[in-house]
Formats: sequence, structure tokens, C-alpha cells
Amino acid sequence: MKYLGFVVVAGLAAVAALLPAPAALSPEPSVPEEVASVAVCAIEEGSGRTTAISVLSTVDGPVSLTLFAGGETTGSIGHETGSSGSITIPVVDVSAVGTVGGLVEMPVASSAAGALVSGAESMSSESCSSVAHPLTFLTGATTASGDTFQLHLMNPYAGEAVVELTVNSEAGNESNARFEAVIVPPRSSHIVDFTELVPGRETLSIVIETSRGRVISVGRQAAAGEIAIWQAVPPAQDWFIPIPGGQGRREVVVATPINADVEYQVDFYGPEGLEEGLLSGVMPARGRATIDVTELSDKPVALRIISTAPIVPTLWIESEEGLSVTTASPRGANRWLLPGAGVPAGGRATVVILNISIDDSTVTIRPLRRGTTVRTLTVGSDSLLELALEAADGYLIESVGETVVLWSGHRSQASVAAIGVPVSDE
Amino acid sequence: MTDALTPLAAEPTSTEEHLAAPIVKVLLTQIDGADLSAALAILARQVYEPIPEVVVVGESPDVLGEDLAWEENLEDAIADHGDGVDYFWILHSDARPRPDALSALVAEILRNDAALGGSKLLVAGSHEELESVGSATDVFGEPYTGLDEGEIDLQQYDVVREVAFVHSASMLVRRDLAQGLGGLDPLLPPIAAGLDFSQRTRLAGGRVVSIPSSEVYHQGRCNQRGRGWREQAGRLRAMLTGYSLLTLVWLIPYDFLVSVLDSLANLLFLRWRPAARHMVSFGWNFIHLPSTLGQRRRFSSVRVAGDEELFRFQTKGSVRLREIGSEFSSRVLSMFDDDQALARSSRRLWGSPGIWGAVLAVVIVTFGIRGLVFAGVPNIGFNFPFEAPSVALDRWLAGWNQSGLGSPATVHPSVGLTGLFSWIWLGAEGAARTVMTILAGVVAIGGLGRLGGRIGLRGPGRYLGGLVLIAGPGTALLTGEGSWLALMAAAVTPWAVRSAFVHPHDEAKSQFTRIGWALVLGIPVAAFSPLLVVLPLLTVIVWKVLGGRGSRIVPGFTVLVAGVVAVPFLLGDPGWLLDPSRRLGLTVAVMWPILIALAVAPLMIGNETTRRIGVLGALLSVGALAAVRVPYGGPGVEEGLLVVASFGAALLVAAGMDRLSMKPSQLMAAVASSAVLLLSVGVVGDGRLGLAPGDVNSQLAFAGALAGPEGAGRILIASTDMDDIPGEARSGPGFWYRVVDGEAITNDQAWLPDPLLGDQALDAALSRIAAGAELRPGEVLAPFAIDWIVLDGPMFRLDEVFLAQIDLIPTPLDPDSRVFENPSSVALAQGATDDVWRRDGAGFVGEPASGRVALALNHATGWQPESGSIEWWSSVSAVDGAASFAGSTLDQVLALISAALAASGLLLIATGRGRS
Repeated sequence: MKYLGFVVVAGLAAVAALLPAPAALSPEPSVPEEVASVAVCAIEEGSGRTTAISVLSTVDGPVSLTLFAGGETTGSIGHETGSSGSITIPVVDVSAVGTVGGLVEMPVASSAAGALVSGAESMSSESCSSVAHPLTFLTGATTASGDTFQLHLMNPYAGEAVVELTVNSEAGNESNARFEAVIVPPRSSHIVDFTELVPGRETLSIVIETSRGRVISVGRQAAAGEIAIWQAVPPAQDWFIPIPGGQGRREVVVATPINADVEYQVDFYGPEGLEEGLLSGVMPARGRATIDVTELSDKPVALRIISTAPIVPTLWIESEEGLSVTTASPRGANRWLLPGAGVPAGGRATVVILNISIDDSTVTIRPLRRGTTVRTLTVGSDSLLELALEAADGYLIESVGETVVLWSGHRSQASVAAIGVPVSDE
Repeated sequence: MTDALTPLAAEPTSTEEHLAAPIVKVLLTQIDGADLSAALAILARQVYEPIPEVVVVGESPDVLGEDLAWEENLEDAIADHGDGVDYFWILHSDARPRPDALSALVAEILRNDAALGGSKLLVAGSHEELESVGSATDVFGEPYTGLDEGEIDLQQYDVVREVAFVHSASMLVRRDLAQGLGGLDPLLPPIAAGLDFSQRTRLAGGRVVSIPSSEVYHQGRCNQRGRGWREQAGRLRAMLTGYSLLTLVWLIPYDFLVSVLDSLANLLFLRWRPAARHMVSFGWNFIHLPSTLGQRRRFSSVRVAGDEELFRFQTKGSVRLREIGSEFSSRVLSMFDDDQALARSSRRLWGSPGIWGAVLAVVIVTFGIRGLVFAGVPNIGFNFPFEAPSVALDRWLAGWNQSGLGSPATVHPSVGLTGLFSWIWLGAEGAARTVMTILAGVVAIGGLGRLGGRIGLRGPGRYLGGLVLIAGPGTALLTGEGSWLALMAAAVTPWAVRSAFVHPHDEAKSQFTRIGWALVLGIPVAAFSPLLVVLPLLTVIVWKVLGGRGSRIVPGFTVLVAGVVAVPFLLGDPGWLLDPSRRLGLTVAVMWPILIALAVAPLMIGNETTRRIGVLGALLSVGALAAVRVPYGGPGVEEGLLVVASFGAALLVAAGMDRLSMKPSQLMAAVASSAVLLLSVGVVGDGRLGLAPGDVNSQLAFAGALAGPEGAGRILIASTDMDDIPGEARSGPGFWYRVVDGEAITNDQAWLPDPLLGDQALDAALSRIAAGAELRPGEVLAPFAIDWIVLDGPMFRLDEVFLAQIDLIPTPLDPDSRVFENPSSVALAQGATDDVWRRDGAGFVGEPASGRVALALNHATGWQPESGSIEWWSSVSAVDGAASFAGSTLDQVLALISAALAASGLLLIATGRGRS
């Protein structure tokens, strides 16, 4: 009995020492991330140009456009997409604001917005960005030959953003204090005018790295009265770019923000079908390469560009009608929205649909405007087709297999080209 | 066969007696200022025969008679005058022995077979005032007579007994022993030499006795320098000569520590000499170390006994520190105690074996509360300020629980107790909180000491164990999480357990008193940590199973009854007791159960009392440590078990350190218990009794400072680290969160009641926000009256989400966290015509109006007047200009029963005392 107590103590001590501790407490699992149904658009009012915001959605729901500048909301308007799922909002109906940012709130995630800037001798269109990435890249700009180039940094959010710019040109890495710690106050835009800072540069590539907050960046290139707007996008290693046929110079400028040599390969989707590895090469560190599509074919074609490190390809089309610039798409999708796509007054418009699936794909082309007709076509595997568009607020392209879609428009002395917006599920 | 006429054997004649009597030689040591002639004259009156020869030792006397010899020192005297002598009577020249002093010495030495005997010394020129009847010493050789100042000789000590040390003013020593030991150490002054000689005599196998029948009046001239550095240095040399190496290993550092404390204490009394004496003493011994080592070597050949032979006659602790303590208490008590009655009692107190444990424990706790005194009590974890007493008592009396989004569930029972204490403290709740926190340490030490005393412990361990109680394996974890309640619960628990034990002296006490105390002490235990009301009964049962006596089941049950204080809280929030997902997730290191099992092992071969207490403590401690690893029960169970683990460890330490000696089992028990103690007390070294540091209220003060006229709303705090959340946290998608009052986090908000509709709505809102789908999270959080969002700890999903939103304003108000202002938040109480109501106690007031007031609080029908709801909100009529909450009747009745129980307890104590 005397030692029984000790035996029990020893036993309990062994239990206490050997029994595993209760599992560490942890919070509930994270919820799946969702993309807010918003988009940020670059808006330009004045200087003979005006902007219209085209909002497309797969549902009928409320849409609002809020313009922000100087830390404040300068105007806001609400609409419904209606049964067509589309609405075009002229910014002039909201406020006369100059070059600002616009925040578009859309009914569901399967929506897209695009900004169509037009003037007497200019026209440009680019989809509005729904996600603010911490690092984006923009390439192909020039400040030579009297051309002007501006980087439009937009911060629609409540917190201040700070941006570091790394600029490369044919002269190498551009050093300028105004590229460092660029502050974009909340609900404001900041324009970096490269024409003033680095004039006379043939090619500019800009890495936009956000060290605090979030910004959406677009490039705005002006040449001989024509303008082109395109988004800065996060670099990736696999890109698709459909290219419309026609006259003029068509180039794909490929650049890398990586400070190392990057190997790349170009697969060509031409009239004869897919030709893998048509081109290949090595880009120098933070360098670029240009693929002259005009030399390959004057028909509608498409490229797939694969690289060993992240790159960004940008399509440049210069014709008598004007300048168009848009970035490639890093993915295929079964549904695409083409905000703003439609025949401009007195002009024409086409869509290029690239089927990247291994089977032929049935494609439905739906103009988003009340009373318009829907067309259904079949696009062969690894092939593409170019179709004329009619007047609309935009288009919804749906396909069985994955496709990549780009639209372009032309009118007198102005042209536009814009890659489509892949649609997320609702 | 003996013929009747045959003459009887003749009685020995006096001459024959003389022939049989031992031959004694007097070694008369000259003392400065003493009259040698008078000393010789007194010696001549001795009735002892054969008349002893006298050898004068010291300076050459002026007058040297024919029958007088002279030697320069005692060593020579012993060496040169030993022929034919049986005993040496070493006598100071300032001593005046009675005529029969020598004969008494010789007679008693022979009768007791002693080697060394000392006379009773009386102060010359006084009315029989005692100076020495043989002394004990402490382990450092400091003499301890045990006599009160001015104590008169009433023959109260007239019994021959063994002592540690006899005064060298008059001592009789066997000649062979004196010569074998090499005489007195010539380097030592008289008293230290006597001490050294006494010690060596004992270690050589001789008995040292005090012989009170040999009375000597002592002028005390030799004592005038008794506390001088020479005597002190001599005592240290005596230690170095006598003790074994093993003893010296711990004794010298201990002596050094005592010297430092003695010096510091004397400096406080504006005396610098003791410090100087200590320094010179150590210096002198360092210089004479070679000679001391020689002395040790010579003595080793005649040594036959171990150090235990010396320990037997030594007092516990340090005489020097005891005197300092006595002087300190005398000085303090003299302010109130003109006749010094208390001061005399305090002297006895300082002689108690446990008192130095208590002093040391209190000193450590005093060191451990310095941060609380100078910087205040932290506000972090589960440790927050009290509310105003009226508000706290209102909440406790089935009032509105404002924690989170509010709830009709009753607040934690501690809120009522802290409200009561604040009220007693004249409404100064901040001061009340600081005082309670500071007192916790002392209450714990006192409680465990008193409990230990009641169950049979007497040593210092029972008080030192109190440190383990507040800083032991379980409590330290809880206080480290900021659990103020755990500290309080640990402090009061031993008192409640003690109420279930009866001291043998108190058997006659009325049962009413015991039950009354059990109720009165059980209520704070139930209020601070409800589950601990089980502990007294559990302790009693285990104690009885172990064969212990003196425990009572009825008081144990009575403490259980006191648990009714916590019933409204437990009914309102059963998850606190049952939901393991709400635990704090505290894990006790694996070494603790092992260490406790090791610490109890040596006690198994010790005495029955310490063994039983040690096993009781170990069983409770390791049992609780094992149980806490079982994933059942909520945070209340976790808290209770962890406090029990510390309580058990404290009892174990109390038992292990109860008797400090060199016996292997007790030494091992003391060492193991010391390890538990040392590992525990490190926690209190932070100056906050182990409470987590920080001030969340200060960090969040911006919310109150920037609030509008309607007052501050709420703050949402979120982090991936649960420890960053003040009080209890709720689990969100990938992070922890909770809302707190923007004015200040108070102790009633530490725990979150079970979620209601509003809490579910908030959870859903946060899930939507965390998904990233909300562009305007401020609007989503506005209905919850969330004015501010604070993201703490490492960056996480909400940080990312809040980078891309448009209505929460990032505001750099706190460098350690990310703060967002929510401009769209609504007021806590909003009238229909935009009239903002403000808080008033636990309710709201505003302008009377005909409409209704919406309250951003979970809906509860207790809100008056005309309770209603808007979704999950409560609403009331604005007609009275006031909104107040009244809880359920059951909760109110239970609260009143609790108050009645407390009153009954006091009444029972008073009744019981009257009967006793």
C-alpha cells in the first residue's frame, strides 16, 4: 500500500508524458477566393476624344460606373444590363473629367467591361482590368519620331499605392528618380509621361511593381493623332494571340522582364493549319524580340508563344487607318466576352476565333444587343477563322472546345484591336 | 553469610575521596581589563579537592605566586601542564565562579560521561540575569542562546543537556582530549576558539554538555568584542576546520549569501560595520587559508563522527538573519506596540522553522510584482480592467453581457466578485485590480503555508510551495496567456482546500465555523475558476484513500455548493465547459510529469506525513496533466486542470522541502523539489507574476479618442495567431477574430458567449469578405457597429483583400498592426430620426421620442421597453429615453442565491465562533 501511491503517480506521469497533446487549434479552412465583379477602366475625356464604357454580362443585373480622381469620387451612374446583358455608358453622361479612372461594378463575375475611346481621327479599345496584380509588364511603347507614350496608373481603392517602375529601352535600363516610389493616392490616377522622361526611345518595356496597395496600369500610345491603349499584364510562359488579316504592318513584340536570357518558341496557326516551332530564339535579359507577322501571311493567323521564363507578347497593327495595340491571352476558354466589339460608325469589324482544342469546335457568336441574331459555326481543331461583326454593345462567344478570341475594328483614320475577356463561371 | 556483628566496610574517608577525585588544573586566561588578583582570590575559595593548580595564560602577570605557573598561550599550557592531570578547567579572568562551581563541573562530567562541560554563566553585578546556559549555534557557528534579553535565572534551565557549544569563560575539558585536539586554536579569539574546540570535541566523539549547577558570574569583558570581525572570522575558520568537504560545498556559498543579506539589511538600518566585518572576515580567512588547511589535516586523524553530529545541535536557518528579521519587526511593531508584547511574540515567530521559507517566498513574490507596481497590470490576453462596480454588479445580476455582439447569457462569475471588490475599494476599480493582483502572490503563499501547516508540514517548503502554485507548470501557462483569473484562482484555491481539513487543535471548533469558512472560501474559487470547486472534495477523498487524517467530507461538499455562483454563467455558456474547440490549446511540457514523478520518489522512504502529502500532490498534479491531454471539455476544464496541476506540484514541493537535512532521502527530495521550484519561479522573474505583458487597450485607444458624440462602436480584431486576439477568439475562414468594445476591453469581455444570430451573420459576412468578393467590406461590417478593423500578426488573406476595397480607410495608428477605419459604421444605438443614443452603464439613454431605437446587439427579449427585433438586432421603444436589459428570472434568482450563500457563510462563521 505504501508504494501503491507512487506506482499510480508513475503510471499517470507516463500517461501524461506519452499521451499526445490535443491537436493544435487552427481556424476554419479558408474560403475559395472569388473575383469581385468589378473592373477598372482607363477613361479619357477631352482633346476631341470621348470614352464609352461597354459592360457585358451573362445575366441581367445592376451596373454602376464610378469615376474617381484626386482622392474623390467625381461622378457615378447606375444602370441595368437588361435582357441583352449589355449596356454602353458614355462617360460624358457621368462627368466631364479628363484622363481618369473608372470603377465599374457589375452584377456577377461572368461579366466584363471595356473602354472604347474614340475621336475624330482616333479609336482604341481595351478591356477593363478586373484584377490588380502586384507585378505587371507592358512592352512595345515608343517615344521616338514624335510619338508620345503615357503610363496611366489607376488606384480606385481606399489605400494609397506605391509603385516601382523598371524601364528598359534600346539604351538599356533607364534610370530616373521619378520611376522610384511613385505614389498613387487612393481614388486617384497618376500619369507617367515617358515622352518627357525618356524621349526618343524606339522601344520601351516597363515593369510595374506595386510595393504597397494595388494599381491597375494601362499604356497609352499616341502617334499622328491616333491612340492605342493596352493593359499591363502579369508575365507568363504560354501565350496565344489571334491576328486579323489585312493590310498594314502586323508585329508581335515579345519582351521579358526577367534579368536573364529567355528562350522562346513560336507555333504558327496559319491557313495551312498548325506549324509548331516555326520560329525560335533567345531573348537577352530584359530584352525583346519582334515577330513580323506580315512576312508570314496577310491572312488571319494566330501565334502561340512558349518561353522558358515569363514574357509578355503584344500585338501591334499599324495601317493606313491607324494604330492598334493589344496584349495576347495567356489562356483559352469556352466563353469570351468582347466588350465594345461591333461595327463602328462608317467602318467594319471582325472577330478572329482560334480553336486551340484538339477537336473541331462548335462556336456560337452572340451579339449583345436587343434583337440581333446568333450565329453558330464550326471551327476546326488548331485552326482559326475571321468573321465580320455587326453593330452591338459587345459580343459573347461560346464554344465547345477552348478558343482564344480577338476583335478588331476599322473606320476612316482609326482602328482598334482588343483581345477578348475570358468569362468566369457565375 | 554476614554476621550481624561483623563490622561494615568502612565508608571512604575524605582523604580517600580526595585520592579518587580527578586532578584538575585551572588554566586562567587573562582578559583585558579583568582583575587577575580578584580572579585568583575567588579561585582560592573553591571547595574542590585536591586543590587545583592554577596556570595563568596570557601576558606575564605582575604578581606571580609560588603556586602559580604562567604560560603565554593555552596551547602551551595544555601541552606543558598535562602530567598527572585529568581535566583542565579553562576559566576567563573576568569570570567569578561560585565556590562549588568546579566540583559541580567535575561531578556532572563524570556522571554524564562527557568530554567537555560548561558552566551556567550569570551576568556579574546583576540580579541573577542569565548570560549563557550553553549555546546552540546555527550552521555558520553563530551562537544562539535562546534566552530573552534580561532573562532572570529561575532555575528554568537547570538540567544537564548536550549543547553545541559551551562558553569558553568556564569550561572543563578532559586532559587527553584537550591534548589530542592540539588544544585551542591559537589564531582564534576566545569565543570562536571555544566554539571551534566544542565542535572538534563533538566530531572527535566527545560529548559537550552544559552544567547549570556550576554557576559562574561573568563580567563579560571578553564578550565586548564578541561580534567583532575577529570573532566572525574565527567562526568561519571553525567552519572550515570542522565541516566535511561535502558540507562546505554548499555551506560557503550559503554563508556568503547570508552575509550579503545581513550586510544589506544592516545598511538599511544605517549600520555599515557588519558589511565591513563580513568583508574583512572573508579576507582574513583567505589569507590564513594555508593554516586552516593544516588545521583540517591535523584534525582529520582524530575525527570519528560526521557533520550530522554537529547538525543535531544546531538551529535551523541563520541566527543573523533571524535577528535582523526580529529587529525589523520590532521596529515596525514598536510603532503600535508600546509595551513590546508583539515584538516579543515576533521573536518567537522568527524562530519558527517555516518562517524563513515564508520570508523567502514573499521576497521572491515582492520581486515578482515590481512590474505590476511600477507599470501597472497588463491589459492583454484574458487580463483586462474591471468595469465600474455598479456596471459590473449589474451585469453579474443577470444583466446584459456586452462581450462580442452581446448576449443575454450571464457574464463570468468573476465579474461580480471584481465588482464587489471595486465597490469595497471605494469604486476605484483600477486600484482594486492592482491590489488584487499584487495580493495574489502573498495570498497563494499564505494559503499553501496554512494548508501545509494544517496537514502536518512545519518546514519552509510549505510557503515556498506557494510560488509553485502561482507559477507552476499549469498556472504559468495560463498566466502566460494573460489569464488573470487563473492567477486569482490559484491564490484562493489552497484556502478553500484548507477549509476541508481540520487541525487536531481545532477539533473542538463548531461545525458551523467549518461550513461557514468552506462557503466563504468556496465562493471566490467558484467565481475565478468554477471547476475548481471540485478540488477540495477531491483532495479530501484522495487524502483519505492515502490514509490521511483530519480531512472532512462535509466542508468539501460545501465548497461544491459554493459553485452555485457559477451556475448562471455555465447555463448561459455551456460550451465554456464542454466545447474542446474553444480551448486555449495550451500544452504542458513533457518534462513536468516526469519531474514530478521523480520528485516524489525520494519521499517514499521519508516520514509518513511528507510521503503522504507528496503523493497527494503528485497524484493531483500528474493526474491533471494527464487529463488535460484528453481532448474533452472546454476552456473551463482546461483552466481548472492546469491550476490543479500547479496546486499538486506545490504540495509536492512543500513536502519535499519540509525537512532540510543531509539524510540522503531528504536531500534528494529537497533537490528534486528545488528543481520544480526553480523551474517555476523563473516565470515570476518578469515582474508581472508571469502575466503576459502588453496593453491592448492602449494600442486600441484611438477608437475611443476618435469616436463621435455617440461614443465608440466596436473594433474587429483578426489574426492568424489566436494569441493576438484579446480574450477568446472565434474561428473564421483562415484566421481568428472577435469584436471588442471600442471604448475599452474590460474583464467581462474576456469570454465570448455562445454565438447568436448576429454572430452567425458576422461570420457569414467575414467569409464573404475573405473570399474577396466584397468591394465594400466597410458596408458589410457597418451593421455590426464595427468602426475599426485591426489586422494583427503576419499578413494574411484579409490584408490581401483589403488592398482592393474602396471603403475601409487604412490608417497608420498602430505600428504593430494594420488598422482600417470604417466610415460607414452605424452607431450602437440608433434612433429612428437619426438620434444617436449613448451608453449609460450596461444600457443606453437618449432623447425620448415616439419611434424606436435600433440596438446593434444580438436580439434578446430582455431589452426594454417594448422589446423587438430587426433581423438580428434588438430594438426598443424610444419613449422612455432609456433602454435597459433585465435577464431571465432564473438567472436573477441564482445570482441572489449566490449572494445569500456568501451571507450565510459569514453568519455561520459568526455563529460557530460564538458557540466555541
